[in-house]
Amino acid sequence: MVDNSVIQSLPLPTFAKVRYNSWQLDEMIPATDKATTPFFMKNEKNGIEVSGLSTTYQHLTEEMTAQGVILMSMIQAKTEHPDLVENMIASVVDKAADRLSAQNFAQFNTGIFVYIPENVQFDEVLHLTLNHLATSGKDLVARVFVYIGSNAKVDILQEMHTIGTQKTKASVIIEVIADSGAQVTYANIDSFGEQTTAFINREAEVRNHATVDWQNAEFNDGNVIIRLASQLNGEGSTSHTNVIGLTTKKQTQGLVTTILNRGRHSLGHIFQRGVILNRSTLVFNGIGKIIKGAKGSDAQQESRVLMLSRRARGDANPLLLIDENDVTAGHAASVGRVDENQMYYLMSRGISEQVARKLVIRGFMGEVLAKMPTKAAQQQVVEEIERKLKHEDD
Amino acid sequence: MATLKVENLHVSVEGKEILKGVNLIVNTGEIHAIMGPNGTGKSTLSQTIMGHPAYEVTEGHIYIDNQDLSEMSVDQRARAGLFLAMQYPSEIQGVTNAEFMRAAINARRPEDDQIGVMSFIEKLDEKREFLSMSEEMAERYLNEGFSGGEKKRNEILQMMMIEPKIAILDEIDSGLDIDALKVVSRGVNEMRSNEFGALMITHYQRLLDYIVPDFVHVMMGGKIVKTGGAELAKKLEAEGYAGLRDELGLNVHLTDEDVNSYFVED
Repeated sequence: MVDNSVIQSLPLPTFAKVRYNSWQLDEMIPATDKATTPFFMKNEKNGIEVSGLSTTYQHLTEEMTAQGVILMSMIQAKTEHPDLVENMIASVVDKAADRLSAQNFAQFNTGIFVYIPENVQFDEVLHLTLNHLATSGKDLVARVFVYIGSNAKVDILQEMHTIGTQKTKASVIIEVIADSGAQVTYANIDSFGEQTTAFINREAEVRNHATVDWQNAEFNDGNVIIRLASQLNGEGSTSHTNVIGLTTKKQTQGLVTTILNRGRHSLGHIFQRGVILNRSTLVFNGIGKIIKGAKGSDAQQESRVLMLSRRARGDANPLLLIDENDVTAGHAASVGRVDENQMYYLMSRGISEQVARKLVIRGFMGEVLAKMPTKAAQQQVVEEIERKLKHEDD
Repeated sequence: MATLKVENLHVSVEGKEILKGVNLIVNTGEIHAIMGPNGTGKSTLSQTIMGHPAYEVTEGHIYIDNQDLSEMSVDQRARAGLFLAMQYPSEIQGVTNAEFMRAAINARRPEDDQIGVMSFIEKLDEKREFLSMSEEMAERYLNEGFSGGEKKRNEILQMMMIEPKIAILDEIDSGLDIDALKVVSRGVNEMRSNEFGALMITHYQRLLDYIVPDFVHVMMGGKIVKTGGAELAKKLEAEGYAGLRDELGLNVHLTDEDVNSYFVED
């Protein structure tokens, strides 16, 4: 256990242009709520749903079990694989990285643990759902750890939800290790409720010739800060980091999306699309950092936001920090409006302006939507967009 | 029975006058073709009828039946029975072709009488097969990753699904190989009836071998300069636009008028 005064002396994580000091994310009381039945998951071949401290769904095919895949709640993993958990946790996000991450390390009492041995190939999506039970007024403090062994291949879909309406907070750290040659797609749909103020920190360590592609969809309704980082440590390691976000009402979603090119010939591309409604705020900070010695590496980023209300606030801030000459890098950022040609095309078929606008906004985020790993996940993103766009005229 | 009437239409784009007094009447039951050299305002006419915001009507009127289009938004014009098969259809990722066409059909129906999933799919399958389009196209995203030919087919498919009264086909033949041209033409011919009229814009006479028009109009310098039957197109093919211009004694510069001097006549 880390000393609390040490934690409080650490700085808060940096989210440029997002003011979150008053959100009190550094004062968490971990909830101990339990549940007995699944909220979302059913019939998944390879999936787990953890709700509060309870595992409300868990299934792994015999084939995957036989190959040594571990898929269980953090509580179960600590009991059954204590050494493995001990070694892995905080190996990607340092336990003293910042005040919120350190606090998460000291306090987390739930989460999900996944271990995929080398060469294991998943043909179907691996589905991870984490539900915050906001029923007792206490907070979610959770940790997700996913290890993907050498040359293993998996598409992961992770969801986060709030059950209940109590005003609470959430702190979730997701660590991913892709060992050499591993191929990983990590898609997530974050949909915490309006009463959940959250800190989400996802980080991957990508080793030699491994790939971690993120498809990151932020449809939370409350105030949220989200960090999404990839350490491209290995030679020829790759990350395509794709982000979509939609903010409504008075909420703020602030993101820092980082790729660190440390390995030679590593490739890191950030692609972000955000839509901002009502009085909400959406901030994209994109950071591409190339370390000296990462010869032949490539860092690109493109961030675009659509402002759909005069009272909305949006930012797309690209930052490239390059300490090596033999590299390629570039960035583009813009704050724009709804595509007029697409509007015209849809309306020329008789579709009303209001409906056309919804479809064009969806199209603006379509590139990430299309990359969701299952039809069901694509449909879920469509529904989340429709749900959030209902507030357009608020 | 419906009528599209264009009356003394003047249109400017970014302050430059492109159409300089176009008059035209298209009734259901008729197929019209507009031919003309490059840069003469054919596409401007089609986009203006549909209501593209970049085209400013400075004089004249367009009516569908007796409704003045100037007071109607793009979607209202479409629901009044107009359709434009576009030269460059937009691509929209995340919206499937099927969802888009269903939305277009439902936009024409009252909210308590939307088309059922089964009857929509039956209709889509029938039209899709008629145009030799694959089954998976319905679930692909709108025009996304479609080849030029697939996009044109998709425009015709939309026309067959929506069943407009008057369709404008803007260079539906461009970029099509001969087989695709036959398929697209088959779609238009299938629509031919007393309930349907079309205005086809084309550079080439070839299209008119497959879709034989009732009227051919020649546009030059922002006006219709001559109207005739299907034989007018054949004459143009033989003599070129410069020949007709000189015959009519028009003072119009054609972008590519020197091209014939490169060919030796036999």
